[in-house]
Amino acid sequence: MHPAFSVLIFTVTAGAGYGLLGWLSANEVFGFWLLSVPTKLVIGVIAMVLISIGLVASTQHLANPKNAWRSFSRWRSSWLSREAVLAIMLYPIAALYAAAIYFTWSSIILWAGLCLLLSLAIVFVTAMIYASLKTIRQWHHPLVPTLYLLFATISGGLAWAWLLAWNGVDISALANVLAVLVAFTALLKLGYFICFKVPGTIDIQSATGFSNQKVSILDAGHSAPSFLNNEFMYDVAQTKLVRMRWMMMLATFAVPLCTLCWVPDANTLFGAFVVMMAGLLAERWLFFAEARHVVRLLHGQQRV
Amino acid sequence: MKLGLAIDLDTCVGCHACATACKQWNTSGTIGPLTDTRPYGKDPNGAWLNRIRTFEVGVSPDSKTVNMPLSCMHCDDAACVTVCPTGASYKRSEDGIVLIDQSRCMGCNLCAWACPYGARELDPGSGTMKKCTLCVDRIYDQQLPESERQPACVITCPTQSRVFGDFDDPESDVSKLQRERDGQPLMPELGYNPVNTYLPPRESAPRPQGGSVLGTVKKIVNRIIHR
Amino acid sequence: MPNASALPQFEDHQNQEHKYTTCYMCACRCGIKVTLENDQIRFIQGNPNHPVNKGVLCAKGNSGIMKQLSPAKLRQPLLRKPESERGAAEFEEISWDRALDILTTRLANIRATDPKRLAYFTGRDQMQALTGLWATQFGTYNWAAHGGFCSVNMAAAGLYTMGHAFWEFGDPDWDNTKYFVMWGVAEDHASNPIKLGLKKLKERGAKFVAVNPVRTGYQAIADEWLAIKPGTDGILAMAMIHVLLRDGQIDDEFLIRYTNAPQLVVNTPGQVGDGLLWRDKDGGTQVYDQLTEQFVSAASVDTAPALLGDYTTPDGVSVRTAFSILYDKYMDPQYCPEAAALECGIEAATIERIALEMAHVAFQESITLDIEWTDWAGRKQQQFIGRPVSMHAMRGVSAHSNGFQTCRALHLLQVLLGTIDCPGGHLAKPPFPKHIVPPIKPAKGNIPNTPLESAPLGFPNCPEDLLLDEQGQPQRIDKAYSWDAPIAAHGLMHMVISNAVAGDPYPIDTLMLFMANMAWNSSMNTAATMDMLRAKDAEGNYKIPFIVTCDAFNSETVAFSDLVLPDTTYLERYDTISMLDRPISEPDAACDSIRMPVLAADRDVRSWQEVMVELAGRLKFPAFTDQEGKPKFQDYKDFIINFERAPGIGFLAGWRGEKGDQQLRGAPNPKQWEAYEDNECFFKYELAPNQRYMRHANLDYLQLAKEAAWVGSTEQIVIEIYSETLQKFRLAGQGLYAGPQPTEEHHKQRLIRYFDPLPCYYRPLEQQTEDAQEYPFFAITQRPMFMYHSWDSQNAWLRQIMSQNYLYMHRQTALNMGIADFAWAWVESRSGKIRVQVKHMEGVNPNTVWTWNAIGKQGGAWGLSQDTNEAKQGFLLNHLINELLPEDTAEQRITNSDPITGQAAWYDLRVKITAAAAGEEGSWPQFAPLKPLPGFTSAPIQQAYASHPNINLKRSWADVLGRSSTTGKGGK
Ligand SMILES: Nc1nc2c(c(=O)[nH]1)N[C@H]1C(S)=C(S)[C@@H](COP(=O)(O)OP(=O)(O)OC[C@H]3O[C@@H](n4cnc5c(=O)[nH]c(N)nc54)[C@H](O)[C@@H]3O)O[C@H]1N2
Ligand SMILES: Nc1nc2c(c(=O)[nH]1)N[C@H]1C(S)=C(S)[C@@H](COP(=O)(O)OP(=O)(O)OC[C@H]3O[C@@H](n4cnc5c(=O)[nH]c(N)nc54)[C@H](O)[C@@H]3O)O[C@H]1N2
Ligand code: SF4
Ligand code: SF4
Ligand code: SF4
Ligand code: SF4
Ligand code: SF4
Ligand SMILES: [Mo]
Repeated sequence: MHPAFSVLIFTVTAGAGYGLLGWLSANEVFGFWLLSVPTKLVIGVIAMVLISIGLVASTQHLANPKNAWRSFSRWRSSWLSREAVLAIMLYPIAALYAAAIYFTWSSIILWAGLCLLLSLAIVFVTAMIYASLKTIRQWHHPLVPTLYLLFATISGGLAWAWLLAWNGVDISALANVLAVLVAFTALLKLGYFICFKVPGTIDIQSATGFSNQKVSILDAGHSAPSFLNNEFMYDVAQTKLVRMRWMMMLATFAVPLCTLCWVPDANTLFGAFVVMMAGLLAERWLFFAEARHVVRLLHGQQRV
Repeated sequence: MKLGLAIDLDTCVGCHACATACKQWNTSGTIGPLTDTRPYGKDPNGAWLNRIRTFEVGVSPDSKTVNMPLSCMHCDDAACVTVCPTGASYKRSEDGIVLIDQSRCMGCNLCAWACPYGARELDPGSGTMKKCTLCVDRIYDQQLPESERQPACVITCPTQSRVFGDFDDPESDVSKLQRERDGQPLMPELGYNPVNTYLPPRESAPRPQGGSVLGTVKKIVNRIIHR
Repeated sequence: MPNASALPQFEDHQNQEHKYTTCYMCACRCGIKVTLENDQIRFIQGNPNHPVNKGVLCAKGNSGIMKQLSPAKLRQPLLRKPESERGAAEFEEISWDRALDILTTRLANIRATDPKRLAYFTGRDQMQALTGLWATQFGTYNWAAHGGFCSVNMAAAGLYTMGHAFWEFGDPDWDNTKYFVMWGVAEDHASNPIKLGLKKLKERGAKFVAVNPVRTGYQAIADEWLAIKPGTDGILAMAMIHVLLRDGQIDDEFLIRYTNAPQLVVNTPGQVGDGLLWRDKDGGTQVYDQLTEQFVSAASVDTAPALLGDYTTPDGVSVRTAFSILYDKYMDPQYCPEAAALECGIEAATIERIALEMAHVAFQESITLDIEWTDWAGRKQQQFIGRPVSMHAMRGVSAHSNGFQTCRALHLLQVLLGTIDCPGGHLAKPPFPKHIVPPIKPAKGNIPNTPLESAPLGFPNCPEDLLLDEQGQPQRIDKAYSWDAPIAAHGLMHMVISNAVAGDPYPIDTLMLFMANMAWNSSMNTAATMDMLRAKDAEGNYKIPFIVTCDAFNSETVAFSDLVLPDTTYLERYDTISMLDRPISEPDAACDSIRMPVLAADRDVRSWQEVMVELAGRLKFPAFTDQEGKPKFQDYKDFIINFERAPGIGFLAGWRGEKGDQQLRGAPNPKQWEAYEDNECFFKYELAPNQRYMRHANLDYLQLAKEAAWVGSTEQIVIEIYSETLQKFRLAGQGLYAGPQPTEEHHKQRLIRYFDPLPCYYRPLEQQTEDAQEYPFFAITQRPMFMYHSWDSQNAWLRQIMSQNYLYMHRQTALNMGIADFAWAWVESRSGKIRVQVKHMEGVNPNTVWTWNAIGKQGGAWGLSQDTNEAKQGFLLNHLINELLPEDTAEQRITNSDPITGQAAWYDLRVKITAAAAGEEGSWPQFAPLKPLPGFTSAPIQQAYASHPNINLKRSWADVLGRSSTTGKGGK
């Protein structure tokens, strides 16, 4: 699949934003750390900025953005519509949560709880946009929503840890928890790679209806690339993919993990967060670049 | 009603007539125009609703060339519709035609991703998604002569390899063809239940040879045949 | 179909109008119905009533809108700037008056001095009746259309054998045939009819065998594919003939009644007259009657001629039946399937099986139609007997230098099976069949200000008919009807530039080209041709002093012209598709048609038809002027109405007579165009059922044909399996002919070897000398179904289907050579080298490579940008094809053409292929991109054509919000 940069930015930054908001509101609900009102507000604003950057980026991907508002209408069937609805719903809820912080309403637990649920839900729903597509086996898999949720948790968590450390909160326990989460996510991501090492089951024979015979394409019916080529036939050299995978594993997991284990202070955590975000961009790029749409079969690929 | 096409792979010669007829009709049709980019430059590209691919089946010398036109299959379980956030994509309940309301589409491409058959193409001009309309603006147009109330690709196909009709009616031409010629859906395992059906190439039976009329020429030389 | 639910009115029918005309996106000439609105085209569709296409349309026909929109359309006459060089495309726009004045002055001078110094050649046109008449009136015999580089082999072989032909002169009986063999056809001019026909065959379960080195298009749906080696169809057909003769699977009744098989041939080897038909005092040919045991006139009725036999005539001449010669020839072991298999690459068992399958269908599955008809002798016959085996063949056969004889072999195969013009067989289309040899001779004479006595092209039937001067040298610029190409019935358009530049046989003054892209895809040796067009003599004058091109579009040839006359598009002009030309008839109906403008031209262009008529008046051609020397015809329409070639015979056969109530023949009808318009622009005269078959010997038909001036007499058209005409030329080569004889040894050898009165096989000329080791691959082209030669790269839709061509190679062969899929490679022939991108495939003869024809373009031509795929990655195979045979074949280099007809041998090419080095990418050679023409506004970056804003089918909010299921069922 063609990795549209706007979509990469969207899922990564918004993911981190939802993660951070999730940590903030979870802390509200469960009361692990006691934070000052300004601290909570600043963290909340940072989360919302990340989310908003992501959402704005996502509309860049639309070819006809003037109709973007219509995407609230098909929440009954469309994961993308659900995402849109929930993403917008989050704003008033988050505003109420902010008000509750500021005015120290007693209903704060309710608003924080809703923020937490919504954040998780949005990330899940975003993931389901991809995971629901039967046409791309690398996406149509339970690991996809799982990983999306974990990536939001660890990237938001790293931001959370950095912001706490920056506010002088003791984060040694948090660092340990995060380290475990990062390691776990890394393992799942490895599992994902291993999972898709085996070739898929849908083949050109099924796409064309000629079973048990060799089928090859002679002519796609257009000699210059079409929309379908641009969208689905995205191809990069295997060596580049491998390089990207290494860089991704290093940036997303190895660097943050080392930081969390050995030098989790405000500065290093910020650095680790930035590196992880870069890693996640690479991860998302790979998520697209390595995805094989079945339309490729109709353009001559033997199996997806 | 379940409207769709039966496409005969036994007779399709891959001439692209149905593709250009489709482009021609629909560029001024209900979802038109169908924009072309760099029409006279490098890598020309535009929105098409029907494309012809050619495959080779088997290995030479026993290979067979098969031309396969691909347009929207008007799937019964059309995930392209399910995923559409705006409601632009929909499947008509009265006849099963899958359509895109151009005034609703936001050009997110998701439906194209959901389609296994490459049937949807984003129009680079309007920014909206385009796909086969089953020529809804022809088949119901009471002001067209009855014989022309057929999709543009169907009326033009020089080998008449495209047949349009109602798959819900067991007596329709398409239903009969599907039964008699063992029409196949493409990629059935994805569960989209495509309505369009592909009639596989026929096997040709061995033929009798010779059958001596004359014996050898030398034997029959100079039969008395009146001029 | 279904009833309208609540739908908007999508089309504003009140605002739309329908017009009928004839498509000219190619020369198939389908009937079209054009829907117009807002002065734009809404839709072009097939006319269901039209005899040719019956409502269907091909990919090109469906893209007419984009042809009308083409940025390559010429807009005004162009004159090369005096200081600029040919090929630089530097022009000034001039008025039509000025353009026609320049041309009239020049042509009048030529006509008054030496008319042959005007060479007028036309390409993919279909108005040869008019251009030929024009040339005749001008007085130059240097005229021809594209037939010489196209398929004259097919036309001539057919006309010299059975009086009609493959090509556009006949069709398989699609409705009745049970076994169909297609030899070397990718698309052809019966584009839609062939497709409609193949569908009928397949539905009926008839067998379809495709003989072709490549399996694409039609061959894809064949029941059996014979992956023949190019150029070897002749030996394949002759091996089948061998099998039929060996097993006695022949239609002896047909041979005796309808062919010259029983006629007696003089058998006196080494003597003058050997091999000619033995004739009586009156010149009549003879047969041996088994009833009276006497020699009788071959034309006599109720005899029982012997098919086989050697006799001695009363005056002691040894004679044998033509069939005896035939039998002995093809029973020779060199024609047995095993021997043929080695040459053509088709297994012996397959050859044998196919021959016997055909025989089975012809003789065991024959069909009879109980229709009473009258034979040539006036006898009533109760039924037509059909042998339902049919064939079609085209350029895979014709574009080889053995194509004439190969095509004759196919006809012989058909004749032995008795499948000529019978139900289920190969049917003629009126005005065919013609008598053999058609009684029109090539025009002679070159007299100032005087028309030729007949049309420039004709059909020689003896060396006396050649166009030679006293020294035996060619008289025509293309050397047609010389010893190089004696039966060049369509001229040799591919030789004109090369000969004129060499001044061989003489220099010319003006070359006038209509609808021909001779600077590019229609010439052999393209790069050299471009140089020739620029070539100058010692004084610095162009060797071809003046080049006039009439084209509708900015082709590569435009750049090489001194004067460019812009034509209309096919939707903007009046035109006739005449029975005097290449007709659109169906086997059971005589048809012709017209074009009517459906759009007004928005540029300063004129149709060539109008220009021809106007020039004819200005130049005072007798047929175009009255006694006072005033133009006789107002315009083209007027000319078509009033011109009569013979009394009552004009360009259009329908609605003749003053009242418009006569058909085929009748006085001019001033309302003829209107009558055509009322009938959707075509005319169809259906033959009565008793006139539809066996027309070579069908008196009811022949009488009609004579009345309509299709034939000159009602005598039987006797099919010539043995060609006395060819034998006369052979005798001339042997020095045994009492008439003109060649003086040069190589000419003698060619006549002896190739002018076999019976179909013979020889390797294509170029391949006889070519070292197969050196150039191991056959290289051929195919027509893509969606592009017409060079015409369609300007078409925004069609070029999206293909803007780059590949060289297709057999996958395993390529892999063995280390050439990967999509790799670049060098292809080299004896005349040059090109670089191409390779594509692997399975369905191709392993020794053959091929590409789509005419996709490669010169940058900047055709309204395309300078960096288009056509120019940068696409390529022309033509660079590798030489217009001359290799040096060592003769002292004087001869045209790379069929030695009999002069048909260009495009497909004789052999090449070697080597992988390109790393980094060597893009096609080669590259030519400097052409400059834009004056007034050219750069092509749009994006184009969204629509004749009206779309009427969107809206989905209701209720449905959007309310529907839970997305499937059709379970609705709202
Ligand atoms: N769409 C379209 N239609 C056209 C044209 C066009 O450009 N485009 N051009 C028109 C013109 S001018 C013409 S002349 C006709 C020609 O119509 P076709 O005869 O169909 O012309 P080609 O494409 O040259 O096809 C020749 C076929 O012969 C095969 N072939 C080559 N060598 C041999 C051989 O030695 N033996 C056999 N058995 N096969 C061989 C090739 O693979 C190819 O399939 O088409 C006309 N129709
Ligand atoms: N390698 C290779 N070369 C081949 C062949 C092949 O098979 N292989 N085939 C050969 C054959 S069979 C043929 S017939 C020739 C084709 O020979 P041509 O007839 O020379 O070829 P076209 O490319 O059709 O060029 C015709 C010209 O007509 C112009 N034209 C189009 N419409 C109109 C119109 O309405 N009015 C006027 N005035 N001009 C118009 C076009 O712009 C173009 O410049 O090519 C030959 N060349
Ligand atoms: S028009 Fe008919 S024959 Fe041509 S590609 Fe389409 S389906 Fe095939
Ligand atoms: S073919 Fe594709 S676009 Fe058409 S209904 Fe099925 S999924 Fe949707
Ligand atoms: S591109 Fe348009 S039709 Fe497709 S899913 Fe998006 S909004 Fe719906
Ligand atoms: S039914 Fe209409 S829209 Fe669909 S492919 Fe055919 S012509 Fe195109
Ligand atoms: S075959 Fe196609 S291009 Fe040729 S006349 Fe017919 S519709 Fe037009
Ligand atoms: Mo041709």
